[in-house]
Amino acid sequence: MTQASDPRALQTLVGLGVLALALALGAGAVSIPSAAGYGGVGPNFLPWLIAGGLAVSGLMIVREARTGGFRNMEAPSGALTGHWSAFAWVSAGLLANAALITTIGFILSCAICYLLAAQGLRRAAGQAGLGPRTLAVDLATGCAIAAPVFWTFTQFLAINLPGITGTGWL
Amino acid sequence: MTDILQALLQGFAAAVSPANLLWALVGCALGTAVGVLPGIGPAVAVAMLLPITAKVDVTASMIFFAGIYYGAMYGGSTTSILLNTPGETASMVTAMEGNRMAKSGRAGAALATAAIGSFVAGTIATVVVTLFAPYVAEFAVKLGPPEYFLLMVLAFTTVSAVLGQSTLRGMTALLLGLAIGLIGLDQISGQARYTYGVPELLDGIEIVLVAVGLFAVAEVLYAALYEGRVHETRNRMSRVHMTARDWKRSIPAWLRGTAIGAPFGCIPAGGTEIPTFLSYAAEKRLAKGEDLAEFGHKGAIEGVAGPEAANNATVTTALIPLLTLGIPTSNTTAILLGAFQNYGINPGPQLFTTSAALVWALIASLYIGNVMLLVLNLPMVGIWVKLLKIPKPQLYAGILIFATVGAYGMRQSAFDLVLLYGIGLLGVLMRRYDFPTAPVVVGMILGPLAEAQMRNAVAIGEGSFLVFLQRPLSLGMIAIILAVLVLPRLLRNRVRRDHAADSG
Repeated sequence: MTQASDPRALQTLVGLGVLALALALGAGAVSIPSAAGYGGVGPNFLPWLIAGGLAVSGLMIVREARTGGFRNMEAPSGALTGHWSAFAWVSAGLLANAALITTIGFILSCAICYLLAAQGLRRAAGQAGLGPRTLAVDLATGCAIAAPVFWTFTQFLAINLPGITGTGWL
Repeated sequence: MTDILQALLQGFAAAVSPANLLWALVGCALGTAVGVLPGIGPAVAVAMLLPITAKVDVTASMIFFAGIYYGAMYGGSTTSILLNTPGETASMVTAMEGNRMAKSGRAGAALATAAIGSFVAGTIATVVVTLFAPYVAEFAVKLGPPEYFLLMVLAFTTVSAVLGQSTLRGMTALLLGLAIGLIGLDQISGQARYTYGVPELLDGIEIVLVAVGLFAVAEVLYAALYEGRVHETRNRMSRVHMTARDWKRSIPAWLRGTAIGAPFGCIPAGGTEIPTFLSYAAEKRLAKGEDLAEFGHKGAIEGVAGPEAANNATVTTALIPLLTLGIPTSNTTAILLGAFQNYGINPGPQLFTTSAALVWALIASLYIGNVMLLVLNLPMVGIWVKLLKIPKPQLYAGILIFATVGAYGMRQSAFDLVLLYGIGLLGVLMRRYDFPTAPVVVGMILGPLAEAQMRNAVAIGEGSFLVFLQRPLSLGMIAIILAVLVLPRLLRNRVRRDHAADSG
C-alpha cells in the first residue's frame, strides 16, 4: 500500500488539505460584512484570522512533510496498511443507517448498521467461516441492543427517535 | 466559611433526593463501564447522552454527567491494569507499574490501591473545590472582557500547544475547531457566517456530532481499518486485597499524588499527563531498597497509587475553572460546558449566585459519587472485569448504535448521520497522522465565547487592541500565557529524561 511505502506523500496531502480549508474559509470570509459597530472589530475579523492561521499551519505541515516527515510523531497504532474491505463494511453500515432510519425506524435500521459493522470488524479480526449463521446472530444481537435502547430513550427520556409505528414501541 | 457549609448542606439535601441519588448511581455505573470498555471514553459517553438535556431537569442531568465523568476515571484504571493493549496503555502511567503488578500475580492489590487512591484523592480534591470555588468565583466577577478573553486564550494555548506531541499539529486542530465554531449566527451582530443558505446551519454544528464523530465513529472505523489483527491478552485477576505493607506504602503515595494533582486541575492548564508523570517520577525517586527494585520489574504499588491519585485529583479540581470561569480544559469538561449551554446556563462567576442550588447539589453529588464508586469498584470489580470479555467486533458495532442515538436524538435529522460519518472519517485521518482531537472540541465550544469577549474588549478599548496591555490584570495574564507555553515543556523534558535515565 502507498501508506507503507511513502508516508511523506500522504503527509504532504494532509498539509495541502489544511491549505485548501484555509482557502475555503478565506473565500467565505470575503462575503461577511466588516461593520464593526461601536469601534470594535467586525464579524469578519475572526474568520480572516483563522483562515490566515490555517494557511500558515498548512504551509508548515507541507514543509515538515517535505523535509523528513512530521516532527515528534507518535507511530500510529495498529497495522501499517489498512483493511479496506472491513472499512467498506463499516462505512456501508453507517450510511445505510442514515439512509434508512426515517423509513424503517430506529430499531431495524440500527440492527442493520450493527450487522454490517460487526461483519466488517469480524473480517478485520480475521475470523474464518462467516456463514449465514453469524449473519443471523449479528442481526439478532443488533435488534437485542437497539430495541431496549429505543425503549429507554423514547419511553423514559422522551427523546424522539423514529419508529415504523407511532407507538414508541416499534 | 459558614456560608459555604450551609450552602453545601443545602446541596446535600438536594442531592440525596431519591431521584437524584438514582441519577448519580446510574451515572457512576455507566461511567465505570465506559471507563472499563476500550474504545469509548467519558467525553463521548456524555456527548451521546446530551439529547437528554431536552427533557431531564438540569440538576439531575448534571449529577448524572458528573457521575459518568468521575466513574470513567475509576474504570479506566481497571482496564490499564488488566489488559495488555499494545501501544495504547503504555501512554498511561498507571499501566506501567499496574500491568507489571498484574503480571506478577498482584492484580488485586493494584486494583485496590487504584480504587482507594482514587477515592482518597477524589474526596480531598472535592474538599478543595468546596472551599476554593466560591472564592475564585468572587474574584472572577471582577474580571472584564479583556481578562476573560485572555483566560480563554490561556485554555487554548495549553490544550493545543502544551499537551500533545507537536505544537503545529495541536494549533492546526485548534484552528479547525475554531473554524467549526464560526458556522452559524455571529453572537454579537447576528450576521450569518458559513451557512451557505442552509437553514440547519444557522444553529451551528451540534457538539454531539463532532464529539461522537471524532471519538466514537472514528474509533470504530479506525479499529476496522488498522487494529483488527491486534491481539490483546488479559492478566489474571487475583483477590482484591492489600497487605499491611501495601497500605503503608500506598497511603503516603495517595497523599503525595493528590498534592501534585490538585493544583494542576485548578489552573486552566488542562490535561492529566503532566501531574501523573510528575507523581510517578516523585514516587520512584522516593522509593528505597526493595521497593525501588520493584519499579519496572515486579511492579511497585506506589507507582500505581501515586499517579492514580494525581489523576483523580486533577480531574476533580478541573471543575473549579469550569464552574467559576466557564473554561473547560479537557474534552469531557468542554462537553459538560456544552450541556450547561443546552440549558441556557453559561458557567462563570455568576453561576454561584444565579444557580447556587445547582452548583452546590453538583458538588455534594461529587462526595456521594466517590463513595458509590468505591463500592462499585472494590467489592464489585469482578462484574466490570467481565466487560473486558466482550469481543471487539460486537462491542464496536454496538457503540455505533449508541452513536446513532446521540447524533439523531439531538435534531432528528438523517442528514446529521451522514455528517457524523464525515466527521468520523476526519477523526480517522487525525488519529493516523497524530493530530490531537481535544483542541477541536475545546476550540469549537469556547471559540464563539472567546470571540464575543475579544470584540467586547476591543470595543472597550475604543477599537484598539492596546486595551490588553493597558490593564494590569490582563498584562499579568499575558505573562502567564507565555510562562505556560514555556514551563511545562521544560518540566516534561526533565521528567522524560529522568525516566529514560532510570529505566535505561
